Amino acid sequence: MTKVKTLEIRNLHVSVEDKEILKGIDLTVNENEVHALMGPNGNGKSTLLAAIMGNPKYTVTEGTITYDGKDVLSMPVNERSVAGLFLAMQYPQEIPGVTNSDFLRAAMNVRSEQPVSLFRFIKAMESTINELQMKEDLAHRFLNEGFSGGEKKRNEIVQMKMLKPSLSMLDEIDSGLDVDAIRLVGDAINALREETGMSVIVVSHYERFLELIKPQFTHVLIDGRIAMSGGPELAEKIDSEGYDWIYKELDIRPAAQAESQQRRVTSIGTCAVRETVKAAGK
Amino acid sequence: MTPLRLNTDVLLKEGYSEYDIDSDRDLELTFRGSGKCDVFVRITRADHIRIRTFTSENAEVSILFWNVSETPCEFDESHDVAENGKLTIAYGECNAAATKRRTYTSLRGRYASALVSSASLVSDRKNYSMNVVNFAPHTSGEIRNYAVVLKTGVLTIDAIGRIVKGAKRAESHQTSRALSFEEGQKSTILPELLIDENDVQASHAMSIGRMDEDQLYYMMSRGLTPQMCTTLISTGYLMPITEVIDNDELRETLRNEMERKIGELCSM
Repeated sequence: MTKVKTLEIRNLHVSVEDKEILKGIDLTVNENEVHALMGPNGNGKSTLLAAIMGNPKYTVTEGTITYDGKDVLSMPVNERSVAGLFLAMQYPQEIPGVTNSDFLRAAMNVRSEQPVSLFRFIKAMESTINELQMKEDLAHRFLNEGFSGGEKKRNEIVQMKMLKPSLSMLDEIDSGLDVDAIRLVGDAINALREETGMSVIVVSHYERFLELIKPQFTHVLIDGRIAMSGGPELAEKIDSEGYDWIYKELDIRPAAQAESQQRRVTSIGTCAVRETVKAAGK
Repeated sequence: MTPLRLNTDVLLKEGYSEYDIDSDRDLELTFRGSGKCDVFVRITRADHIRIRTFTSENAEVSILFWNVSETPCEFDESHDVAENGKLTIAYGECNAAATKRRTYTSLRGRYASALVSSASLVSDRKNYSMNVVNFAPHTSGEIRNYAVVLKTGVLTIDAIGRIVKGAKRAESHQTSRALSFEEGQKSTILPELLIDENDVQASHAMSIGRMDEDQLYYMMSRGLTPQMCTTLISTGYLMPITEVIDNDELRETLRNEMERKIGELCSM
């Protein structure tokens, strides 16, 4: 019987380049739970996941994150990973010169006392590649280099399957995937959950993906705060009705709207100048 | 491995051969190749060496100079390639000692080609001046440098491709890349193309920079320590140099040597 691992976030404030994105988040994720983060773009979903993983671009200005009783914020990124946290990124990096297999073996070796035997590694890699229907030469290709958007996303899941984290965060893992690939990825996540009791925090705009991995909890992030929490019915309601009813009910506005209005004004101005210059040139 | 201790004129045999330079005196070495020759030269110890190579008509010569000397070395080199000859010269420089190298490659006959390339793990002074000159039509020259510059390293590369008048349809290309992991390292790369003929193709690409922060974050998010990331990236950057010689066993040996060296130096 393994100990229950819990992620606890209290009053989390996070800034990017002095702009406060998260304005006090409280969230508890227990083992075996699946939480969906919803909310309009630009309201802090990805920021929350990045802050938990420790992306150096995001500064935590206030609050705490603990996992399994340990202070996550004091750990460097690699230690957070070894502690069991995993982030499937929205935009996975390309690393030329480093093969997928060298990378993954190194990542597996840091979390075991003895180095993983080559034979066991190859077996595990082959079956995972099959499961996610990746090309057979994946192991020898450079990490994400020249991969299509969908391949990159599936490669994140390959890594997740190999590293077996206890808490996975999936940042729009389903975007860029076709219907069949979404099913493959969903099945792979469910299989790993069954095997290890992994908990999941998922950011997704697609009901189809959420239907597959069945979150028990839904949280709606608006302007850096969790505006509303509920069960799966909340995700369904948002899927059919959008967010407007929440803004009305709580009398709040999302962060992105004000910004995009400003941007639009700028772009018209630029276009107007361009038109004027063009006209003057004639 | 054949030792080279005295001034020697080496007639390269077909296929694979290997030599070891271990000398504390000035040396003059000449290599002549007339078939398909794969040559590995380990530099265990050297002071000042003058190296000349001659690649005959239709010959295909590849030489990898692997510098493991613990003391500073100086090289003066000239390489001649005759009509339709193909020369590949490669330098593996992962040793923690200074190197000064001047190399001058002449593409003498029509359709001669040369690739001069280096892979350096720089923890001391590495100073290269590389010239490749197209003297004849349809010749093709390329300079390719990859370097990882560590804390104590200073890298200077002068890469010069020259095409003389009358060398029609000649090609001159070069790529030089230096990667560092921390602030404060010093790299200077000067790419030059001197072209006196109109009907040619030439290009150069150059980059000097620190390792990408996003890449580092990505790799660390899978549990790799910063040092492991540095080692993996450096190995990926420098390893292709070992592919110059068509010999799997040698490649494996050099790969292990390089990984060990990178691990050692990157952890300092």
